Formats: sequence, C-alpha cells, structure tokens
Amino acid sequence: MFNIENLTVRINDKYLIKGMTFTVPKGQITAIIGESGSGKSTTISALLGILPAQATLEGTIFFNGRDLIDLSRDERLALRKKHFFTIFQDATNSFSPTLKMKQQLYSLTALRLGHKNEAFLAKIKVILKDLNLSEDVLESYPFELSGGMLQRCMLACALYNEPDVLMADEPTSALDMLHQQEFIKRLKKLHTQLGTTVLLITHDLGVAASIADFILVMKNGEIVERGQVAEIFEQPKHLYTKRLVANHF
Amino acid sequence: MIAKWIGKRVIMGTIVLIIVSFLSFFIMHAAPGNPAAAYYGGNAQTLSTAEKERIEKAFGLDEPVLYQYGTWLREALQGNLGYSAKEGRPVAAILQERLPTTLQLVVLTLLIVAIASTWLGLLAGMKEGSIVDRVLSMFSIASSAIPPFWLGILFIMVFSVQLGWFPTSGMNDVRGEGGLVDRLYHIVLPLTVLVISHVGIFARFLQDSVKAENRSYYVQVAFANGVPEREIRTMVFRNAVIPYINYIGMTIPSFFGGSIVVETLFGWSGLGQLLVKSVMVKDFPVLMGAILIIGVVVVICLFMIDVLMICLNPRLRRGGIV
Amino acid sequence: MRRGTQRKMPIIWFVLLALIFGLTILSSILAPFEPNAMDMNHIYEAPNGTHLLGTDQLGRDVLSRLLVGGKVTLFIAVFSVVLSSIIGIIYGGLSGYFGGTIDAVMMRILEALLTIPTLVIVLALQAIMQGSVWRMAIIMGITGWFVTARIVRSEFIRLKELEFVQMATMFRTPLWKILFSHLLRNSFPAIFVVTIFNFAGAIFTEVSLSFLGIGVPPAIPSWGTMLYTAQNDLLVGAWWMGLFPGMIIFVTLLCVQAIGGTFKQGGGRSHV
Repeated sequence: MFNIENLTVRINDKYLIKGMTFTVPKGQITAIIGESGSGKSTTISALLGILPAQATLEGTIFFNGRDLIDLSRDERLALRKKHFFTIFQDATNSFSPTLKMKQQLYSLTALRLGHKNEAFLAKIKVILKDLNLSEDVLESYPFELSGGMLQRCMLACALYNEPDVLMADEPTSALDMLHQQEFIKRLKKLHTQLGTTVLLITHDLGVAASIADFILVMKNGEIVERGQVAEIFEQPKHLYTKRLVANHF
Repeated sequence: MIAKWIGKRVIMGTIVLIIVSFLSFFIMHAAPGNPAAAYYGGNAQTLSTAEKERIEKAFGLDEPVLYQYGTWLREALQGNLGYSAKEGRPVAAILQERLPTTLQLVVLTLLIVAIASTWLGLLAGMKEGSIVDRVLSMFSIASSAIPPFWLGILFIMVFSVQLGWFPTSGMNDVRGEGGLVDRLYHIVLPLTVLVISHVGIFARFLQDSVKAENRSYYVQVAFANGVPEREIRTMVFRNAVIPYINYIGMTIPSFFGGSIVVETLFGWSGLGQLLVKSVMVKDFPVLMGAILIIGVVVVICLFMIDVLMICLNPRLRRGGIV
Repeated sequence: MRRGTQRKMPIIWFVLLALIFGLTILSSILAPFEPNAMDMNHIYEAPNGTHLLGTDQLGRDVLSRLLVGGKVTLFIAVFSVVLSSIIGIIYGGLSGYFGGTIDAVMMRILEALLTIPTLVIVLALQAIMQGSVWRMAIIMGITGWFVTARIVRSEFIRLKELEFVQMATMFRTPLWKILFSHLLRNSFPAIFVVTIFNFAGAIFTEVSLSFLGIGVPPAIPSWGTMLYTAQNDLLVGAWWMGLFPGMIIFVTLLCVQAIGGTFKQGGGRSHV
C-alpha cells in the first residue's frame, strides 16, 4: 500500500525523521512502536500530508504507485477524503464541543462520500448498534459522552468510510484498561471484516503484540528494528528494543 | 437546569439594581442641604413650613437611613423619582424623553460594531500571519489609545468645520421638519466615533479567539480526516463566537460610559448628556434617576446576552459545567 | 513565530513613555512660558517661532500648558492606580484567601459593581465631592479597583492550591508571611499587567471627565481641561488647541497599551 523511501522531515535544522525506509503491506496491520518523541506521530502526519507549513519533507512516499511528496494542498485533501481515515489519541477533544454528534459524524463520513442525510442515518445507526452505542449518541453533544464512547464513535466513522488505510495514533492511551481491550477487539474485528490496511502507532507493546502483523521500532526519528511480531518479542536484536521488551514484561 | 440558571441571573441582576439604587440614594443623602429640598429641588422654596414638615414626616427624615432608603425605594418602584431641581418637571418624564435617544445611539453602535468586528475578526483570524491579521492587530491597539472625544473633535474639525458635510452638534435641524433622514444625518458623526473607538478591540478579541480555536485538537482531527475547509470554518466560528459574545456582554457598561462623552460632545440629548448636565448644575434628583435608569438598561442588556449565550452554548443548555 | 519582532517593540515604547514622563516632571524648568501667563495681544496664535504650538484664547502658551498639564494628568493617573491597586489587592486577596461563603458574597458584590459603567460611578461621586486634583485622584482610586480585585482573587485561589503554599501552611508559617511572601509575591506578574491597563484607563477617565468639565477644575491645566477649552475654539479654527493635547494623550496611551500588550497577549481595556 505504502512504499516509503528515505523519508526525512525537518524544521529548519531540527530533524524529526531521519531517512526512514519502510513499507505498509496491503491488508495487514503494521504497528510503529517507540517512546514519545521518537517521531511516530510525525510519520503519520507526513503520510497524511498535514505537516505544519514550516516543516521540510524529503524522500518519497509511494501510495499505490503514486508519489505523494509534491502533491498540492487540494490533491492531498482529496486523497485523505478518498483513501484514509485516522483515529487520534484524545477522543474527548476530537469533536467540536458545540455541535451534536449527528452533524459531526456526518461531516466525518457522509460528507466525504457524498451520501445523503437519510442514507447516512440509516447506515450509521446500524454501525452504532454494532458498536454497542445507543442511537441517543446522535442527539448528544461530545461533553455528554465518555472518552470510551467517543473513541467508539471515531471507530464508527472508520467502519462507515471503509478507508483503504486506517491510521490510528495512540488510539488507546487515553482509555482505561477495560476500554483499551474492547477497542483493540473491535479494531481487530474491523480489520477482519473489511480487510483494511491498518497503520497503528503506539507506545504500548502489549497493544502492538496483541494485534499487529508487522512491527517497526522507532527511536530518534529512525527505524532501529523491524520484523514479525514473534521475532521482535522473542528475539529482539537492537539494544533499544531489548530494553523496551524487558520493561514491558 | 435552564430555569435554575436564569434564576441565578435574575437574582444577580436584582443585586446589581439594589447596589445601583443604594448608590443613587447615597448621593442624595450625601448631597449638601436638606434632603427634602434636594428631592423637590427649586420647588422647595415655594413650600410652606407646614408642608416642609409634612414632607419630612412623609420621608421619615427622623427615622434611620435604611428606613429612608426603603421609603425612597418604594416610591422609586412606583415610578416616582422626584422632581428636577432645575426644570421642576418630574424626573420620570425627563428620563422618558432621554432614554430612547440614548438607546438609538447605543443600539445602533452595538449593531454596527458587532457586524463589522465579526467580519474583520473572522477575516483576520482565519488567515493567521496575513496582512489583514497584522493590520488589524495594529489598528486595534491604535484605536484603543484614541480618546473617543478627541476623535470626535477631529471629526468636527474636518467634516463639519472644514468640509461642512455634517452638523457639528444636535439631533435635528432647528429650522427643519425633523424626521428620520434628518436624524440619521445628525447621528453619522457621533455614531462613527463610537464605532471606531470600539470596533478594533472587539475584532481583535474575535481574531484571537478564532486563532486559538484554529489550533484546537478537533480542528486538526477534522482536517486530517478530509473534512472540507468550509465545514471546519463553520465549526471554528461556532466555538469562537461564544467567548466573543460573552466579551460583548462584559463590555456593554463601557458602551454607556462611552456614550456619555460622545453625547455631550455632539449635543446628543440622551441620558449621558443629561447625566453630565445634572452633575454640573447639581440637580440631584435627575442625577439619581439617570444613574438608576442606566443601571436598569445595562442589567436588561446583560440578561439578553445571557439568553443568547444559552442558545449558543449547549453546555449551558444541557447542564454540563455552568 | 512573531515573538521575535514583538520582543523588540517595547523598548521604543518604554523610551517614548519615559520621555513623556521626563518632560512633564521637568516641566517647570522646560516650559518656555509661565503656563498661566495671559497675553491678550497674542491670543489664538497659530504655531510659530515664539509659541511653538500656538496660544489659546487667553494668549497662554499651548506648549507650556501641555507640559505642566501632563504633570496633573499623570499625577492623578499614578496616584489613583496605586490607590486602586492597594484596594484591589486587599479585596481580592481576602476573597481568594478565605474562599467559601465570604468569597461568594464578595464576588457577587464585585460582579454587580463591574456591571455599572465606571464613568457613571465616578460622575456620581464627582457630583458630591468635586473640587481639587486630589479629590479627583481619590475618587478614581476608590472606583478603579474592580478588575484588579478579580485578578488577585483568581491568582490567590490558584496559588493557594500549590504544593509550596500547602507545605508552608502545614509547617505553620505565620499567616502574614504566607499572604505576603508566598501568595502576593507570586501574583505580582498578573497584578503588574492589570495595573498597566488600569493606568491607561485612569488617564482615559481623567481626560474624559476633565473634557466634560466635571473633572479637574478648568483653571488648572491638564490634558483633559485643555481639550475642554479647545472644543469651543475649534469653531474659530484654532485647530492647534485641540490637536496637540489629543496627540500627546494618544501617544501616551499607545505606549502604555503596547507595553501592557507585550506582557499579556490579547488586549482588554477597562476604560470608561
């Protein structure tokens, strides 16, 4: 799906990502793990084309054979609309506080796909029910819902959009243990149902281990180790990975 | 929840009015001379001794101050604010003439300021770092440093004395028939002065509010997920406008303060001019009445702003954090 | 970020403000003419070689009056701001420190006072004690503390919860020491900002009231009273009488606002 070569992101002289080369295979779950500040989130921003204006982007990002580096603002927007969906960490702040969820879910889904309101309502209700959310959610404001419910709403958008690539930036770190596991379970279900390519970013090795097919370990803007889940956890090669794994178990 | 909230505001408004009325009463009480004389002003001299005694008794001048205040308040609530010391007419009647003219000026100002500053603030705030953004920031500081009356003087110098486009003062042409067009012709200069001296800070406030909102998390989430920019702007506006309206509410007293100066300069016979005149000639009943009525109008305005806030902010409506 | 350019700006404003202060303080030496000396042979003279900024309706030198007038205006502003800050710190400090019912009651009263246009309160007080420069300064001092009180209160509430203050309370540090060396000292930055804006507000109020003829007695030169006399003479065409006092007020306020603005992003003013 994604073929990234020598990706570098810097702001003036400060390198956020230094020459990353990796692929995100189609229909699989790839996880990028690393501590905060290792450049994980910057990677996602680079792929989505939402880096701040003062950042310089170098290298190549091939998506389905097309290089995304030099696309215009509008082309990038079109791409995000058509192919990607991203779930972020802080679900409580992911929605505007003064709009009903109905409208916000609409602009995150049906507006992208050009669906009419009736079609949207019919489809979203089924999805919400499937996610164990009542229809009342639609008439609620974000501050009336819990973080776990709001994160499930984001998941509902992902289910609605059926994107080619679903990205998730620390989707579980703001949730408590119980909701974390539930979210992972549902994410996995979505993956098996739709066969979506997933790029997951997490600092939580447990999360990565329980869901990913392939793991990239990042440190200081570079990939220090990569491999199948079993390889990484059973025979970590890099010192940094060894420490991460040791700390986790 | 809403009922409780409105109830709280009404109590708040009542407290304000009690303080204002106490202030008014305190002024009359602290004023030099006999309170009865102050109350009846120039007419007091025509009163006979027996009548004076009757008044003193009626006002309970031998009673404690708080009792007197109570009596005065009861009278005031019934619309009896006493008589002007200078004109001899009932204060209530004078206020009735003056209030609409002040409201014309203030409401029109508020309306124009709100529309213009919303437009400017959005224009500048949505494009951070643009020329409009920077120019507005500078204009806002500059405009808040110009005393409105000085701006008024400059305007009179240029537009009335030099160019002769607008009248220097007054509300109607003395020889003319009056009417709406004439009134509008006279309101242009005072209105412009008030608008210019207020529009900058309001636009600046919205501008900063929009900028802060643009950086918020949900905007980034929406942007990352391909929500069209128009849609995002609408969301940003909806949220940025709430603190902005609140700010307008907080500044409403300053509009009435500003109108005092501008009314006097342009001879606009409203409450502000009345207030200044009554201080000059020490017409205490009129002064008290004018302060009281301004207090009432401000409280009503603030209540209207509160209602608007309920409509705009679902947190207030749905009982989140009050 | 634009911070880089904004950091440089205050120096200009500081210098300009210091210059204005310096000139007015030294006005008795610098003024070319005695500010109240009338010269009926030279009334309404436009700016010229002898009278750099012209003369007024009584032939008095506008420049000299401007310098001396600054002393009156700035004295009133400084005095009233000091007074209002003291009242505000005490009121807000007590409210914030004690909290609970006392705080609730004090804040309700404060909110009510904030609702009344300051200029109206000042006018009302002027009506009963109008007179000297001192009275004017006192009136403005006792009516200008509302915003300061609110800010001191919220600072105290914030600081009270912090660990070092809690520790101090636990170790039975004397109350006065907690109030002064912990709470007050740490709220100083916030107090400083609001005081700057209050200072601008005080200048505003003085010139407004004097302009209306109910502030400083018209005989005493102040920037406000000069504009008060000027408004009738504009019609005669004596533009210099109105222009220069206004300019100096504008520049002074601009300096104060700009300095205040750099310390606190986002404007807010509490005049009239």
